[in-house]
Amino acid sequence: MIGIIGTGVVGSRVAETLCSFSHPQIYLYDSQQVVAQRLATRLNGRDTQLTVVTRDEMKSVKVVVLACPSPHMAISRELLESGVSVVSTSDDIADCLNLLSLTQIAKQNNATIIIGAASSPGMSSLIVRQLAESFDTIDEVHVALHGTGGPACARQHHRALSGQSIGWHDDEWLRRPAGSGRELCWFPEPVGAYDCYRGELPDPLLIKRAFPELGRVTARVTATRRDRVFSRVPMLIPPQAEGGMGGLRVEVRGMKNAARLVDVVGVAERVGQVAGVVAAVTAQAVSSREITTIGAHALGESSLPNSSLLTKITNAGINLHSFVRA
Amino acid sequence: MKFIRRVLLALSVASAVAGVLRFKGKGTAAIKQGGWRKITGQK
Repeated sequence: MIGIIGTGVVGSRVAETLCSFSHPQIYLYDSQQVVAQRLATRLNGRDTQLTVVTRDEMKSVKVVVLACPSPHMAISRELLESGVSVVSTSDDIADCLNLLSLTQIAKQNNATIIIGAASSPGMSSLIVRQLAESFDTIDEVHVALHGTGGPACARQHHRALSGQSIGWHDDEWLRRPAGSGRELCWFPEPVGAYDCYRGELPDPLLIKRAFPELGRVTARVTATRRDRVFSRVPMLIPPQAEGGMGGLRVEVRGMKNAARLVDVVGVAERVGQVAGVVAAVTAQAVSSREITTIGAHALGESSLPNSSLLTKITNAGINLHSFVRA
Repeated sequence: MKFIRRVLLALSVASAVAGVLRFKGKGTAAIKQGGWRKITGQK
């Protein structure tokens, strides 16, 4: 049995993906019960039973997907202490760091917590792992993200442009002001080219954890002039219910046959859809005991079945595009 | 009055410069050295 906390854009996509896998029973919880009820009514079918439950009832399931706004620290600790495995979609650096510190609690309770199982982080790490297989060694990873999922994701994107970005650069963590370091990045069509800037994103942290051999890791987000100017003030206009077409671009550099090689793979899809599918596939893997390692883990780590997860994600309709030079 | 005139002059010069920079800048060019190829979900 799988539980979903948060039934907004990402939570509903998690539920839809699990329904497409004919997962027999799903528990839903949202702080706005009517939203969870509406989702359950829409998706209840012959193969899948969706039930709206209280927060305490979530402790009776095997694995819970946290698709609610961050921080996920308190609820994750509560669930892990009850022996429930957790799949977190948090994209906040501080929250991800705190979640990583729960590894001992997870091990003591024979549970697993997968951190950053969304689009970026999450899908980005799985792509790096796939690309790494075609290299002899990899030493650089550069991630760029365009678009947002639901309103909470849009607020996080807004905050990400005003904080401090982190990046791994030649054996040390570099902190730079978010919103700096403009770089023009090409995403798969129909997204196209966008200026990307450093952002307060957890990707470098989780990718470096999964690939300790890397020498440089950076993460950028697309932003307009307006985004950058107003990033340091509170969001005055409420974000849209869901962002438009999003994009993810992962550039991996390394060596193959003694030659320098650069490979770029991208995704053009709504960010909420990618995050929902990644979280659902990961939760199902934990539920079906395909993922058996206990403790705190990030996608892309060698102890996880990354190739199988990526195959299931692409089978669920998330297409990968490779940049081909003319 | 003189102060207001100076402020208005400064604002108009600033907007003229911003306008030139905004509209004279090059737009994004189409990819000429490669493109994207779908590697999954091909039928």
